[in-house]
Amino acid sequence: MSATSVERPVKPASARKNAERVPWIDWMVLPTVVVLAVVIGYPVVYTLVLSATKYNMLDMVPPKYIGGANYRHLFTDPIFWTSLRNTAIYTFGSVIISSLLGLTLALLTESLTGWRFRSVRALLLTPWAVPFVVVAFLFRYMYLQNGGVINAVLLDLGLIDKPVLWLNNSYLALPAIMVANIWAMMPFFFLLLSAALAAIPNEVIESARIDRAGTWSMVFQIKLPFLRSALFISSLLMIISNFNDFAKIWAMTQGGPGYSTTTLVVYVYRLAFENFNFGYASAIGVVWLVLLLVFALVYLRAVRVKA
Amino acid sequence: MSSMTMKPSPSENPLARRGVSAGRIVKYLAIALALFWSLAPVYWMLATSFKTELEATRIDPTLIPVHPTLANYIGLGGQSLPFFAFFVNSVISCLATAIIAVVIATPAAYALSRARFRLRGTISYSVLLFRMLPLVVMLAPLYLLLLNVQLLDSVGGLIVGFTTFGLPFAVWMMKSFIDAVPIEVEEAARVDGYPRWQILLRVVTPLILPGLLTTGTFVFMEAWNNLIYPLTFMTTMDKQTLPAALVLTFTGQFKTDWGGMMAASTVTTLPLMIAFFAVQRSMVRGLTSGAVAGA
Repeated sequence: MSATSVERPVKPASARKNAERVPWIDWMVLPTVVVLAVVIGYPVVYTLVLSATKYNMLDMVPPKYIGGANYRHLFTDPIFWTSLRNTAIYTFGSVIISSLLGLTLALLTESLTGWRFRSVRALLLTPWAVPFVVVAFLFRYMYLQNGGVINAVLLDLGLIDKPVLWLNNSYLALPAIMVANIWAMMPFFFLLLSAALAAIPNEVIESARIDRAGTWSMVFQIKLPFLRSALFISSLLMIISNFNDFAKIWAMTQGGPGYSTTTLVVYVYRLAFENFNFGYASAIGVVWLVLLLVFALVYLRAVRVKA
Repeated sequence: MSSMTMKPSPSENPLARRGVSAGRIVKYLAIALALFWSLAPVYWMLATSFKTELEATRIDPTLIPVHPTLANYIGLGGQSLPFFAFFVNSVISCLATAIIAVVIATPAAYALSRARFRLRGTISYSVLLFRMLPLVVMLAPLYLLLLNVQLLDSVGGLIVGFTTFGLPFAVWMMKSFIDAVPIEVEEAARVDGYPRWQILLRVVTPLILPGLLTTGTFVFMEAWNNLIYPLTFMTTMDKQTLPAALVLTFTGQFKTDWGGMMAASTVTTLPLMIAFFAVQRSMVRGLTSGAVAGA
């Protein structure tokens, strides 16, 4: 291997790239492009079209063009604003708390080595392998008023004097679902951040140690800057997946009581598949899409600037 | 002692060592707490799945099943609900999605990683963008599309649905795996005179095999987790996936039967758990390289 490469004159990188150009390799993207155009491109365009129509599947009449009426309706629809607020609380609340917990755990387990680290890591990752629907039912069971283990333990400890209706209280339901969500999501942050910690060059840590950096300044001034990109990217991924989270909320409360846990996904699902109001549901989808894209752009730019 | 000649590290200072050990106790307590928080709910699911219906809803819950029973699991096999069918439906649709996504995505990921064609940047960004699309935005049109091509209420339709998130993810993840393969390995094989397609099959493929497995497992897990597509696209109960069946049956059979519910949950969790721990190690590598490359 090395012998042959020594014999050949070393060409500049650009010339080498041109020399290796094989057209059919470019075409290997084609299947992906075609499939994505059909399963994503077409639906997205169709959503845009539907959003400007009045279309209810149950009416048995074809979509009727109504211009921006759906969008105007949206601004005066209190449920839309409630679900937008719930989505924001659910997403950012869960992501911020679980990233901080994951970060703490990654720092705590950093000094463990060998089988100790591997087994602790494997055990801490367990919740990740529990399907969302199961997470939902498991916590729903533990939150039960009578026979729920959480109420039983809190009663035993004397922290509450009568069972709490966690999921039937419009103030507690959303935080209660968030606890389940944080339980399921924290392993992701823990895993990514502990891998990022392990990737910090040894020399950096060593020189900081020689300078007698204390534990706290070591964490905040040396390690955290190295974790920034891992933290930003993993948060972005989880923010996206939380915006989309349907399973946990639907299986725990179906958006209730009232609209207290209705997020945008739940609202759009209800509109589209309980009322079959495809037109209005599509309009909300489009607005949401725009919000998400703006958010992603701003977020990515912020990361770029900081990095 | 050789260590005496070196600069003493903080832990060799007896005073500092006491401080460290106090910190250590706090640290180990925190780790123990985290382990409890992560594992207690899983234990609770398992323990409850062996309890009778009566014991599962006692006001003072029992830590260990008093009269352990397999009845909940046996109940899943027989009776009114085709749980075995749900299981098979889930496995087939998720496995097919994982395989299709990886097979389609890998060549694309290779081209995006290695070739330098004009639309490369645009396609890379679009894939990332598609990854961010809210599924629910596509729900109505996808439903109508499947209705028109008569794929509603079929495994095929479900796979189409799962592909909407599985494929962009697979491309993104495979690209980060391929980026990590040094190009010199391929160049050496080319110098030795191998045709390009043979290099792809014999040199590149074995190198990215862990990546293929990890990506496939991830897509499988995401599909297994998905609830909204089966709930929307499948209308026949027998064709449902496990997660959707859990939600749909809960209103009926399992209304108070938490033992049975937890047994069903355990069965739903098991394949995911196995897949997860099988690829755990290469998953760490894949995710981290993705996170680093993504920035």
